[in-house]
Amino acid sequence: MSAVAAKPQAGGAINPTAMAVGVVLLIIILGACWYVSPNLGLTALIGVIVGGVLIGFGTHFVPVGGAPAAMGQAPGIATGVAMLAAGAGLAGLFGGAWAAELGTTVAVITGGIGGGLMMAITCMMVNFVYVFGMGIPAASGKVLHDPITGDSQAEYKSQGTEGHGLPFVSFVGGVIGGILAGAGGTLIYLALLDLYKATFPTMMGATHAQVLPVAVSVAGMFAVALFLVNAVLTAYNITGTIEGPHDPKFKRWPRAIVASAVASALCGFVAILIVVKLPM
Amino acid sequence: MSVKIEVIAGGVPHDKIMIAGLVSTIVCIYLTYLNAFTNTQMFSFFGGLAVVAALIWGSHTIKVLCSYGIGTGVPSAGMIAFGSGIIAMLLATKFGMLAPIVALVLAAVIGLILGYVSNSILNMKIPAMVQALTEMAVVGAFTVMGFAAMISGGFTFTGLTTSTATFLGFPITSYANSFIGGGLIAVAFLLGAIAIQHPFNACLGPGWKQDRMLMLTAECGFLSMIVAAVMSFALISAGSALISLIVAIIGWLYTYTRFFEMSKRDAAAWLDSKPIPDTEGH
Repeated sequence: MSAVAAKPQAGGAINPTAMAVGVVLLIIILGACWYVSPNLGLTALIGVIVGGVLIGFGTHFVPVGGAPAAMGQAPGIATGVAMLAAGAGLAGLFGGAWAAELGTTVAVITGGIGGGLMMAITCMMVNFVYVFGMGIPAASGKVLHDPITGDSQAEYKSQGTEGHGLPFVSFVGGVIGGILAGAGGTLIYLALLDLYKATFPTMMGATHAQVLPVAVSVAGMFAVALFLVNAVLTAYNITGTIEGPHDPKFKRWPRAIVASAVASALCGFVAILIVVKLPM
Repeated sequence: MSVKIEVIAGGVPHDKIMIAGLVSTIVCIYLTYLNAFTNTQMFSFFGGLAVVAALIWGSHTIKVLCSYGIGTGVPSAGMIAFGSGIIAMLLATKFGMLAPIVALVLAAVIGLILGYVSNSILNMKIPAMVQALTEMAVVGAFTVMGFAAMISGGFTFTGLTTSTATFLGFPITSYANSFIGGGLIAVAFLLGAIAIQHPFNACLGPGWKQDRMLMLTAECGFLSMIVAAVMSFALISAGSALISLIVAIIGWLYTYTRFFEMSKRDAAAWLDSKPIPDTEGH
């Protein structure tokens, strides 16, 4: 096995056949869900898919730097997508879950604010560490001028690096990404919680109040699982690192939308099958 | 972005580890079913052994996948493994006795589709991707199921969501005091996810040795098993939980000692440094 020959060729190109297969797969799963549970199940699945796509799209905004950023050789937050998205998304998810009783709209917005706040704090502290701890200015390596402030970047960029620190546009991207991902995670949780709250009492032969802990736990666990799946798929799409919305890699988002939709539909369908009476 | 490529030949072939891991995991999970036959909870510790077997297989799969330099860090592989695995595992628990087999099939299907999505739709083009994600979803499902069997004494949906508590001398059914209802599943999820991604993340590099990494995996597995055994005191009888705890501690001590020996063996030089001496006399 020669790994050198098999070096990953992941690029920006879109594979039209695979995209078509993905869309067909999505329609098949939606059809299967309509077949087994036309009302409650399909509503929940659509909520899950929308939430999953929000997570997948939102993660593209988050400035993920990875190991090079930790050494000050690339811009972004110095950790991987899985950690960042899990942090922002779960902060949002927990925020939204607290507000679940106040209705879907309030809860989703709360989830978004939770995720955005978490990312804003992270981005700010990261820049504190970069500027005052490591002594490096914030400079993007991908663009000459910051798209929002118009500040020139090239003068501040050290030679031999791809930029460093967290420029303003990356900061804004991080907050937008946190808002989208937090809202998406909350949406998945709420969609599944509503389904389980409605179906668990009859399925388990218990009262509404008795099954609530189980419903909350299963819905929460599925939301976390779907979150991680979507975040990692997005990480694969951007091959690990991205600077923010101004990065050329950001243009790969259509692939991630299809991928997230298929993955969320698949996982969401399995989550819905739990409450469907299966022939045994 | 730099791509790290390291494929190191030698050691036990991956297929062998995969088959051994699969068989021993399924056997160990089914051995916890002795609980139902003998009407005790003494055999719950087999769930923990299933976890260790599954983790050893899973960490080697991660090694196969991450040798290609996927660019997202090793932990992400562990996270997607458990994200997809726990979904399959939760549905599979509904099938009673068949749960491990259903978990295997369902997780493999989910992993296969996720592998196709990442390899073709996201254009990753990594040869090992589809197989690795399939295997890892199965490993994730088995690990959480092993923890479930170990902590609650069974792996059926009813057993995982209910428990019988005694209130004023009368047995009542409690939903909050259970593996799923009590949220113990979230702890099991992360215990497994950390244990599966850590070994390769810690051992990768030019000095990678297969036996050392797998021993570290077993050590991480037993360490998680200790935590799971402590949690199992809440749901199964104290004696059974104590057996799990003792098995876990013995396993951990053995694997930790062995891992330490292997680390010394592979180190360039080993100097047993003493604590800093008090030369100033204060």
